[in-house]
Amino acid sequence: MTEILQYVHKDGLFHRMAPVTKILFVVVISAISIFSIRIPFLIAVLIGLLLLAYLGNVLSELFRQFVLLVVMGIIMLALAVITLPNGETIGYLVPQGVPVIGGIVPVTTGGISLGIIMALRFAVLVLAVQIFVISTQPRDLVHTLERMRVPIDFTLMFVIALRFIPTLQIEGTRIQEAQLARGYNPGKGFIGKVRSLVPIMVPLVSNALVRANTLGLTIDMRGYRTRKRTVLRERVLRSADKAAIFLIAAGFILFIWLYLAKAV
Amino acid sequence: MIELESVRYGYPHTKNDAIKDVTLKVGQGTCVMVTGPSGAGKTTLCLAAAGILAHEYGGRKGGTVTIDGRNVNEFKDLSELASRIGVVFDDPDAQLIFTTVEEEILSALERRGLSADEIEERLRTVMEITHLSALKDRAPHTLSGGQKQRVVLATTLALGTDILILDEPTSELDEHGTTSILGILKDLKARGRTILLVEHKFQRMQEIVDTLIVMEGGSIRAKGQPADLLGDPGIRQIVVPDFAGIRQNGRAAGAGPVPVISLDRLSHSYGDIPALTDVSLSISPGEFVAIVGENGSGKTTLIKHFNGLLRPTAGTVSVRGKDTSGATITELAHDVGLVFQNPDHMFFADTVRDEVAFGPANLGIQDLETVIDRALGKVRLLPAKGLYPRWLSRGERQRLAIACVVAMNPAIIVLDEPTTGLDGKEAREVMEVLKDLQLEGHTVIIVTHSKEIARDVADRVVTMERGRVISDQAVPEGS
Repeated sequence: MTEILQYVHKDGLFHRMAPVTKILFVVVISAISIFSIRIPFLIAVLIGLLLLAYLGNVLSELFRQFVLLVVMGIIMLALAVITLPNGETIGYLVPQGVPVIGGIVPVTTGGISLGIIMALRFAVLVLAVQIFVISTQPRDLVHTLERMRVPIDFTLMFVIALRFIPTLQIEGTRIQEAQLARGYNPGKGFIGKVRSLVPIMVPLVSNALVRANTLGLTIDMRGYRTRKRTVLRERVLRSADKAAIFLIAAGFILFIWLYLAKAV
Repeated sequence: MIELESVRYGYPHTKNDAIKDVTLKVGQGTCVMVTGPSGAGKTTLCLAAAGILAHEYGGRKGGTVTIDGRNVNEFKDLSELASRIGVVFDDPDAQLIFTTVEEEILSALERRGLSADEIEERLRTVMEITHLSALKDRAPHTLSGGQKQRVVLATTLALGTDILILDEPTSELDEHGTTSILGILKDLKARGRTILLVEHKFQRMQEIVDTLIVMEGGSIRAKGQPADLLGDPGIRQIVVPDFAGIRQNGRAAGAGPVPVISLDRLSHSYGDIPALTDVSLSISPGEFVAIVGENGSGKTTLIKHFNGLLRPTAGTVSVRGKDTSGATITELAHDVGLVFQNPDHMFFADTVRDEVAFGPANLGIQDLETVIDRALGKVRLLPAKGLYPRWLSRGERQRLAIACVVAMNPAIIVLDEPTTGLDGKEAREVMEVLKDLQLEGHTVIIVTHSKEIARDVADRVVTMERGRVISDQAVPEGS
């Protein structure tokens, strides 16, 4: 089963970095990709990210989401072309020769470039967050966010949501198998997915609610919400982290300078 | 030491109390085992004894609970209670929060005011006691049920409390997993820990049990030394599963000409990992077959081939003489009914009646009401027809799951671990239902960890190990 958004225990560039360095990395990359409207620059950021992922030994994990990125990219491109026509018209989704409806939905250069920008932004954001999640132990993340004074309830919510993705995937498959064995045939495609919601989602959600109760008790009994933590195996900022933070900061300043000069 | 004095509790929005007038004492360094039918109030008793009911639940409360002489109401919160008691709940998945075993154990250690050195030391000890050192970097969803249960036990031990409360820690474990948990508990008892254990497997646990408590309908039905209690046949049938006499009720008329299920050199791999290798097996109409073997030996993978949920990587599967490779799961559901281990994976309807109706309606079976009543009658659940399925006890839910499949009237009924979480009496009831189905002409195939079922109920025992059938024996007539 493909595991999405899970910490993977291995050694690599990102795994050795302190969480705070990686949080800064994700924030800066996100800001850059949101502000930039230049396609070549966004492509360069994307390639840079993939290169870093390769150097950090996490490229194979990233590629598991490749299909998702491509599908979402195509959807974004289509949405932008259909809903935001702008600039020169270079053709029509429905050819002009078709009677009655011919010539509707113009394909414009503005729509295409906006669609590509959105798709690239999405890819950069998803990949940056993925690199972060794959390389950061949830425990380190909890500690870091705690030090940054993020309330523990929010942090645990985030960590637990990630942790239960594979468990719910496995459980969902089991429920689906149980219903299929009862002769259930929701049919294929979109309609099938919608029809399968009740017999699959009701048991999944009911079981998750029962589990949430036990989970809450477990967290409280471990003293997570009330007690102070012993400082242990702390991820201190090493010289590599400091160098990385310096590079990230320098890169960001360079970006702002180029952005103001309208170069990116 | 835990003491409960006339403890009574009713959950909010319910009429009846879940536990009534419960008085018991778990003395320092002793092990008290609580058993009884599902729905008897065993889990509620654990929550009461841990002080969790007092602090976290609304509802109707009465009586007093003290831990080491101090009333649980005097503790500030759960975190303070957890400095005296450790609780292992019955669902290990719900107690694993982090993504590696080591992180999980550390999470229990790092908020107890210990020094960093003490934490490292205790982490090492706990992993040693629970044999987890080799698994320390593994993610929870990649662990087996037994391994997960050991991690949960380890995090609870890491709290360093003298008192442990465990709610059915071995219910989903095989022989090997149960032995490993028993070994750990034995070790802990020798170290002077006080243990309150809810369990069904008395025979496996008896060497550590000092006092046995049998609960029924929220009250303590019997309490005392195991040897004294087991003299009473009514108590004995709850505590010790006894399937004697079920097979003697009759056997299927000899093998027919065409096997109902025939596997020819079946192999199945998950990616690169082989799960079944060269399995050839032929099951005759009306047989009662038990498939036994340790967790991970390929039992569940095997039965999923019977109704097409899995397809062979190599070899063939035939059901009632037809190769299944061209048949859909829905088509196969007419011939093969599969009841999974956890009944809660199937219930979604608002009433027991609607739940049972789902399968036959999918198959286009006529005269639904008669079919539903017959199926519910067979598992003795007709009075529950209008109830919400998830309100039923575990034993009743298990029987409802069987009714859901019986209503589809398949020639072959396959069940994965149908006695999980049931006491001796309930397990016997389930086996009697299955025996009746066999006598009506169904072929019954069960996957089980229970040696007693294999010995006393099945006509034939197929043993699996590492994806292969290592023995296939007919049980002699009259044994």
